[in-house]
Amino acid sequence: MTASHPIAAGAAVEAAAPARRRIWNRYRFWEAATPYLFVAPVLVVVGVFIYWPLIYSIYLSFFDWNFISPVKEFVGFANFVRLADDPRFHQALWGTLIYIVALVPAQVLLPLGLAQLLWPIRKSRAQGFYRVTLFSPTVISFSVAALLWLWIFHPLQGILNKVIFDAGFAKVNWLSNPNTAIWCVIVVSIWKTFGFNLLLYLAALEAVPTDYVEAASLDGASGWQMFRLIRFPLITPTFFFVLVTTVISVNDEVFGAINVMTDGGPFDRSSNIVYYLYEQGFRVFQIGSASAVSLLIFIGTAILTWVQFRYVERRVHYG
Amino acid sequence: MSNDGSTMASLARSAASRELPGAARLSRRLGRGAIHLVVILLCAITLFPMLWMLSTSFKIPTEVFTRDIQILPRTPTLSNFPDAFQYFPVANWFWNSLFIAVVTTAGKLVISIPAAFAFARLRFRGDNFCFAVILGTMIVPAVVTYVPNYILVSRLDWINTSSGVIVPSLASCAFYIFLLRQYIRTMPQEIFDAAKIDGAKTWEILWHIVLPNIRPGVAVVAILSFLHSWNQYTWPLLVLDDMKSKTLALGMQVFASNSESAQLWGPMMATAVLATVPPLVLYAFAQKQIISTFVTSGMKG
Repeated sequence: MTASHPIAAGAAVEAAAPARRRIWNRYRFWEAATPYLFVAPVLVVVGVFIYWPLIYSIYLSFFDWNFISPVKEFVGFANFVRLADDPRFHQALWGTLIYIVALVPAQVLLPLGLAQLLWPIRKSRAQGFYRVTLFSPTVISFSVAALLWLWIFHPLQGILNKVIFDAGFAKVNWLSNPNTAIWCVIVVSIWKTFGFNLLLYLAALEAVPTDYVEAASLDGASGWQMFRLIRFPLITPTFFFVLVTTVISVNDEVFGAINVMTDGGPFDRSSNIVYYLYEQGFRVFQIGSASAVSLLIFIGTAILTWVQFRYVERRVHYG
Repeated sequence: MSNDGSTMASLARSAASRELPGAARLSRRLGRGAIHLVVILLCAITLFPMLWMLSTSFKIPTEVFTRDIQILPRTPTLSNFPDAFQYFPVANWFWNSLFIAVVTTAGKLVISIPAAFAFARLRFRGDNFCFAVILGTMIVPAVVTYVPNYILVSRLDWINTSSGVIVPSLASCAFYIFLLRQYIRTMPQEIFDAAKIDGAKTWEILWHIVLPNIRPGVAVVAILSFLHSWNQYTWPLLVLDDMKSKTLALGMQVFASNSESAQLWGPMMATAVLATVPPLVLYAFAQKQIISTFVTSGMKG
């Protein structure tokens, strides 16, 4: 190129122009397509395995089907009517409510208090040990956790009964007593899950700007004022995230513990709506009513989430 | 600042503490000591079941249940581990857990990283809509999808295979995309502008600029995803019915549900140890990094 005459070079450029435009166009096309190619795989997977099932569940909930039979029989709202009449379903709903009422405060507020406790001693050398220890139940499986607590609640040789007996009280059949079984599952899930939210809160506290805190302490804010007026408002986004995700996941999470420890019993007293769905769909293969249950779970969750966005999110302070 | 009284009070208080530095420091130290005490107690409660699991996995049967609580095995034995392998295909369970966790994590990273980059730095028609579609999956409880996904997986003949567990699990990656997006957003815009001016294509920016700079974030997401699939319970329970195809997490239920094996506390706890050690070690190494990734992500949409 360097040796060629300017005019000759110009002619060469002219001749190459269509080809170059083609390359340019192809470049433009691929550049414009790239973002879509980047998000397409996720959208496909999410569409096939989350949104399509949601829609298909609606369809299936109007049919009577046992999973094997080649025909699905349209039954209208019969599945929903059957649920409304099923005392086991009522029991499962009641259990679901107890799990929410007991576990949401425990999983949202307990870690928050603990984070406040750990915060003043964050520079201590023991902090790393504390964090690893308190988080450790979070990294194990729910089924392992349930198995460990099975031994603690063991009616004859479990440590809980041993302590109670030594203190002079009668032993309790924790897991086969209809009044205590559900609380055993709740204790296990608190033990198993509080660490994750604790970690989120600690991370949020670390992101609080130190000048706010210093200014407040110069003004003589007490520890409680510091929390109520400075730290808590600044970590409300995390608080809200924790609240919403906890409400969505509690009943899903406890399934593993129920399955290993109580099988929903005795008399369905530790069952919840997820366990009921599992029995309907995968034990007795009532696909229609299982789909109806999953639809109700989705609607219930959506309403709860909407309520939180409507009434709690307003108070969230996005700094 | 709004009223002078409180400012005066604070001045008085700071003056007082200047007069008595020793006493103030002492009370603060006592306060910290009390906090340490409470936290140590909580740590003990947290650790106790796991320590018991560890010690029982080395105990001989007669020592498992004793009159008084016995933390350490008196005659430690290793035989619980080979015993567990004899009762159930624990080796298969272990490899299944590992395979499923590794492949699921790799798959999630491969689809999440480009998407996170697109949502962090690229503008395209429908970007907000696509992001909303993906984040929207976080409010769909997984259980709602089980029945239709089970039908799909059985049509594909994936029952009792790891594909049946892995492929549908790829869909729960919204949280990881969110974390990675926040991480990529912390990179200065100038880097991207400079690369663009130098004529880099978008995928080249992803490969040569984004990827090398977000390694810590990717590591954290990889660990979280690994922990999640290693511990996954409900979906594998539905898909993996055959004894040999199960994972360690499901193995716990196998032990507990069989009245004969439910008495085998030694081998049962040995299996639980196998299920617990890999995630615990992984977390202990990555603890600081995980916290700092959560700090940068900020959780602020």
